[in-house]
Amino acid sequence: MSESKFETISSLVDNYRAVDQRSAETIDNMLKDEHLSAAWQSYHLIGDVMRDEIPSALQLDLSAQIISAIADEPTVLAPRVSENITSVIKAKVIQFIQPVGQLAIAASAAGLMIIGVQQNVADNNEIIMPTQIVQTKPLGGFANPVSFNFSQNSKSKQQVALEQRIDQQRRFQALLSDHQQQIKLSAVKKRVDKKSGGALKAELEKTN
Amino acid sequence: MKLFIPFPLAFLISLTVSFSVISADAEQAKLSLERLSQSLRQLNFNTSFVVVKNNQAEPYHWFHGVVEKQVDENAAINEEPIELEILALLNGPRRDTLRINNTVSYIEPEYTPYSINTEQIIGPIPTVFGRDISVLENNYHFVSVGKNRVLGRTAQLIRIVPKDAHRFGYWLWLDQQSGLLLKLAVITRKGKLLEQIQFTHLEVTDTISDNLKQLQVAELPKIIDISAKQKNADLAWQVNWLPDGFESIKSDRHRINVNKQAVEFMLFNDGLVDVSVYVNPSKDKQRAIEFVNDGATLVLNRVINNVEISVVGKIPLETAKKIVSSVSFNRQPATP
Repeated sequence: MSESKFETISSLVDNYRAVDQRSAETIDNMLKDEHLSAAWQSYHLIGDVMRDEIPSALQLDLSAQIISAIADEPTVLAPRVSENITSVIKAKVIQFIQPVGQLAIAASAAGLMIIGVQQNVADNNEIIMPTQIVQTKPLGGFANPVSFNFSQNSKSKQQVALEQRIDQQRRFQALLSDHQQQIKLSAVKKRVDKKSGGALKAELEKTN
Repeated sequence: MKLFIPFPLAFLISLTVSFSVISADAEQAKLSLERLSQSLRQLNFNTSFVVVKNNQAEPYHWFHGVVEKQVDENAAINEEPIELEILALLNGPRRDTLRINNTVSYIEPEYTPYSINTEQIIGPIPTVFGRDISVLENNYHFVSVGKNRVLGRTAQLIRIVPKDAHRFGYWLWLDQQSGLLLKLAVITRKGKLLEQIQFTHLEVTDTISDNLKQLQVAELPKIIDISAKQKNADLAWQVNWLPDGFESIKSDRHRINVNKQAVEFMLFNDGLVDVSVYVNPSKDKQRAIEFVNDGATLVLNRVINNVEISVVGKIPLETAKKIVSSVSFNRQPATP
């Protein structure tokens, strides 16, 4: 890795270099190269520290956290598709659906955040701000060092709001699924039917 | 001689005529709904539908069939027909519901498969449509509106219109040929569409489909006996206002499966719509009303003095707000 590459990155971070053919290549390389992208990140951090722009709670490497979180996320494999329902049941679905169940819950919780239900907060209807405000070049023509983490301070507030929102969504989702479950359970016949119900039950017991 | 009818009389006549037209419409609508109920129980059908809500579509496959009970040699078994039914969600983790007469089995990712002693599958289509629909007459009008083309068939549009402003209306498009459902929409009083079920395939056959034949010989999961647990718990709060016609179905204390939250719970039903009310302690002191809509289903909650009250159901926002504010406590609920 040549020093010049790091230098290029440094000047790119500080916006001292116009984006030309070479720097475009450098950016391409950087995206591929772990060391260079790490440098990109730390230069930004250094810049932030010098400008005293670091947020109170420092998220050093969010992307790494996200990647590892994704890696930890269980892969949901739908139970083997079997057209033959009989065989599924006969094979005591119980054993093989259960472990999948745990994963499916995680998946459904994750799914919720992506899908989301139509969100209405009664007292707070404002739209979430875009997390990154990209500053355009000032009119004067010279470019001041601009950090991409510019809005970090307000972002941490947003992050709290976001967490609250996720919390709230989870709560709603839990209520919704419980509501549906309770309806299913409440469908139980109040009085056992004279013949058919009893006969079938007896039959089922026999087969057990 | 000129026949002279005084104005008030003419008015009266026209009034009775228009009334009889309306009642004929209602009569027609009721007949159609009764036919639907009958068709849902008696026909062999193999159908697919899509539930459309929140810009999403959930596809289902639905089989239903009736077979005469096979005559056993050694026993004189009554010749009662057996109803077989399968309802399967086709996207995502498997969610199948199976039914043999009075046993309904749910195979879902969250739970060990279980069966319930009931004769109705709880799915996206309200169960009342396959049952005695006259229970709705107290709270809803039935109106026969006109003919339409749905799923390539001639369909009769029937509206189930709530008598008050506290619930939603249901529009049903029924197949003229088979009487079965072709489309269902949940509509607000102002005519806004909240959720709909569109059938995408319908086949009525003389014999039952292969899946149902397999189901017939299947061994369903164990029936869980809920009737013992279903005793109405004596809760330290009550709901003081509900729209007319809502009856208490049950009340209990249980834990919500997803987040293990312990709740006190009441379930109400007006024949068509289920409304759940949850009360539980909250770590927040106070929280204003928050809500989300999942299609027509509203989930709403608020916290007052560390007590969270939630309402879930296919009801308008105003109704849910009114229900939440009507909850009153006999004494301070137990903290966890």
